[in-house]
Formats: sequence, C-alpha cells, structure tokens
Amino acid sequence: MELGLREPGARAARGLEAYRANAEALAERALGASFATVRTMVGDDDFRHLAREFWKADPPLQGDLGEWGGAFPGWLAAHRAMAPWPYLGDCARLDLALHRSERAADASLDAASLSLLETADPDCLHMLPMPELQLLCSAWPIATIHEAHHAHHTNDDAQERAFGAVRSALAEARAENVLVARDGWRAVVHRLDPIEAAWTSSLLDGASLGAALERAGPGFDFAAWLGRAVRGSWLKGVAVCGD
Amino acid sequence: MGIGLRQPHYASVLSSLPPLAFVEVHSENFFADGGAALAVLREARAHYPVSLHGVGLGLGSAAGLDPWHLDRLARLVGSVDPVRVSDHASFARAPRGLHGARGEPTEARTVVHANDLLPIAFTEAALAIMVGNVTQVQERLRRPMLVENLSAYVSFADDTMREPEFFAALCQRAGCGMLLDVNNLMVNALNAPDATPASALAACLAYVDALPPGIVGELHLAGYCEITEREISEGETTKLVIDDHGSRVRPGVWAVHEHALRRFGVLPTLVEWDTDLPALDVLLGEADHAAMLAARVVAGVPNAHV
Repeated sequence: MELGLREPGARAARGLEAYRANAEALAERALGASFATVRTMVGDDDFRHLAREFWKADPPLQGDLGEWGGAFPGWLAAHRAMAPWPYLGDCARLDLALHRSERAADASLDAASLSLLETADPDCLHMLPMPELQLLCSAWPIATIHEAHHAHHTNDDAQERAFGAVRSALAEARAENVLVARDGWRAVVHRLDPIEAAWTSSLLDGASLGAALERAGPGFDFAAWLGRAVRGSWLKGVAVCGD
Repeated sequence: MGIGLRQPHYASVLSSLPPLAFVEVHSENFFADGGAALAVLREARAHYPVSLHGVGLGLGSAAGLDPWHLDRLARLVGSVDPVRVSDHASFARAPRGLHGARGEPTEARTVVHANDLLPIAFTEAALAIMVGNVTQVQERLRRPMLVENLSAYVSFADDTMREPEFFAALCQRAGCGMLLDVNNLMVNALNAPDATPASALAACLAYVDALPPGIVGELHLAGYCEITEREISEGETTKLVIDDHGSRVRPGVWAVHEHALRRFGVLPTLVEWDTDLPALDVLLGEADHAAMLAARVVAGVPNAHV
C-alpha cells in the first residue's frame, strides 16, 4: 500500500520499523501484565511470540490496553501449538478474571443491610456481590496451577511439592472452581467446592436468596458461607428485591 | 515545575511529598472503574494539582474519536478536576484492512486502535479533522485542551504547511492551546537528513520562533536515545534518534527550552521519564534544573547556550 511518505525507501523503512517494534513491545508488555501466570507457564520467549501473533489476530479496539485481551484465553485455547497444554486457556481465563477484578469499581460492605437477613422473607432478598467478584468453573486444576506459580516458595522443596501437586491434579484431571475476589487492592483466588460454586453462580445470576438456597440444597451451610463472605469482602450487602 | 507520576514512584512521591507545582499522569492508565491506581491518583490529587495527559484520543484520526474513550476521559476529568487536559496531534484509530489486496476500498471494517502516537500530514484536510475532533473533546469536557507536537519517525510527502503553522491554525480555529514538547522538536530535528547538532539546534529555535506567542500552555522535557544501525540496502551506518523518555534531558534540549521560556514566558513545565525510571531524586533534580532556568529567565540572565 502506498503510504505517501516523504522519506526515501531506506529511511522510511527505518521509521516504520520504529513503530512496528513499539507495537510489538506494547503487545508483550500489555498482555504480560494481564496474563502473568500464562507468561510464566509458557516462558518469556514463547509469550513474546504469542503476544505479537495475538496483536495481529485481535488488535486493540480501544486506547486503554488494560481493556485489551478479553479474547486471549479463547484464542490461546484454540491455538494449534498450545494443544499439548489443554488447560492453558482456563489458566488464561483465571488471569483475566484477576486482572479485571483489580480494575472493578470500588465498593464496601453495607453492614447494616445484613440485618435484613433476620427480618425479611428470603424470597424477597438479594445478596449483593462485590463488583469484582468472579466465578470460574474449570475442568482443570486452575487454582492449584495458579498457586504453584504465585505462592512464595520458601525453599526448593516447597516449590517441588507445589508443582508435584500440579502434576497429580493434572494426572487425575481434577476440576476446580474458584472465586476471584479482592483482598485490599489485590485480586486473590478462593477455592470453592461444587455446592459453593453452584450457590455463588446463583447469586451472581441475580437469584433471590430463597431461590439460591433452594438450588444449593440441604448440603449448603449458609451461616458458614456468610461468615466467609464477610471476612473475604465478597459481599456488598443485602437488598430487598426491587429496591 | 512538575514531574510525570509513574507507578515505580507512587510510594516515594506520596510519602515524601516533594514540592512540585503539579504532577502529570497518562489519562488512559486511570480509565478503570476502580482499583489501586485510581486510589493513588486520588491521594496524589489531595496534595498536588494533576494534569491529565492523554496518549490515546487519536485527535488526528479520520475515523473520528472513540465515544468510549471520550466517556472515560470525561468521567476522569469530573473526578480529578485536573489543572490541564492534553493529548497529541496524532492519529490512532483506523478501519482495519481499509484496502483490499489490490488497493481497492473494501466494505466498512472494525476500527482498531494503534495505541501509538502515529504522525499526521500537515495539510488542510488533516487540520480540518483535528479541529473537528478537538472541538468535540472540548465541548464534551467543557474546557479547552492542549495539543502536543509529536516526535515522528516518518513524515508525509503531501504536507502543505510547516508544523508550527499547522499548530497556530489549529489553536486559532479550535480554541485549544499547544503543549510544546521541546524534546520532540530535537528528536525530529536530529532525524532530519544530514542533521548535525548545530543544524538541529537551529531548526528547534526556528520552530519556537515560528509559533505565535500565547498559544503554548505547557512545555514538556524528556531524554532521548540514539540507535545506530546499518542500512542493508545502502551499506552504510545510520543513526535513529528515539524519543524514549529514558534518560536525563540533553543539553541541547535545555537550550531550546530556555529559548522557549524567553519567547513565551515562564510556563508550566513537565519532566517526563517513562522507561528505565531512575531514583525519584534524579527526576526531581531535572525538575529543579528546569526551575533554575525559569528563575534565570525571570531574572533576565542571558541564555548562555544559544
């Protein structure tokens, strides 16, 4: 395509190369910030190639690169060269959830609203999740993988144990559910059992407290969950339906 | 004098609170709905005037502005109440695959964002696009903005006006001001064919002299680096000067800066350092040097460099 540049061929090529190199560096830096676990898993060199390839496949549409990369997990999961690591896409989904959680709107618990739990009909109440709360249900041990890559291993033995746990979990194809929430400004991963995951899914879907309890079944300990939710800053409060 | 407030310096700036006239941040880094960066910005705003400097509006984009971007900027301006709002005379948004393989136009495509400061031609058509986009921003923000000159690694053959003339017309028609990046002047001048340090300095001074007094609202200073490479096709070694904001301000840039202060009067001045960030004291030292030059100008001491 004719660009109509003033510079003669070699000088124009040199100038265009400066822009191309900048775009590649940006792609790597932006995706690396959002997908820290994936970067560690594939290594810096492969990640650089993946970031450049993804920039061309799905370029940013917005001028805030913190918003770019929503399609990366799906793209990665479908990438032919990544086929030997079928869990990589879900690890990227978890990275993305953590990244988005740290950018979500700030909110705090309306503790007074919890008193509604004692007075109102559960069918008329909603539990309000914090804006940053995200649930991921994976067929792979994404929490174990994440932990191995991000825990501060005090020695080689601890590290070997953590990655040994990853190998075992992968060998048994263990499915794991995680809740992403914020601890202060930092997004953190909480493991959920299948009943808690189903319950959390109901809440995030906007079900009433009564409906969510019914769906969770008798095995769900609401009081224990409430304590954990308040301590973990998962809850913004409780509201009467329609309010 | 102000400094660019970047993440590695957040804690040291907010704990030591150095005396600064303002701090400047890149607006797009604070477009999220919440989170730690915004909390830092709120804290900084409690101590300093904040200048919001954009790198992503793409004011020269023929595809127009991104409504999402303008919404986020307006929200940030509303919450920060900045002392100034600025962006660049560059384009960033363009339809992907505008032309087919044989150069023929294709149907409308997704508009992508380059996330870079891509150069525009200095033509009447480009000026009309810039005026329209700047006007749209200013009407939305209900305040005038400043538009910064670029460091550009390519330029266009169909330029019909010189860059200072373009900015004078832009400011006059859109009612905006200019953010004059002195380092960018030097980078462009050094990348010109057959440039020498002396010819580059002369070109920068001439640029400053060609701007009408009164349109410049802020000055930017930064460091640049030189990349030496071999042009394979021509078999000779050439240099490319890159505006990397990764080192101290160069002596020639200080000289042009002082010249600008004498022409435009003492203006808010920012020292930008975005890569290989030094200890905060080094950056503050550069801001102190800028303050010293401003004091010399006010005291009527002649410019020793020019």
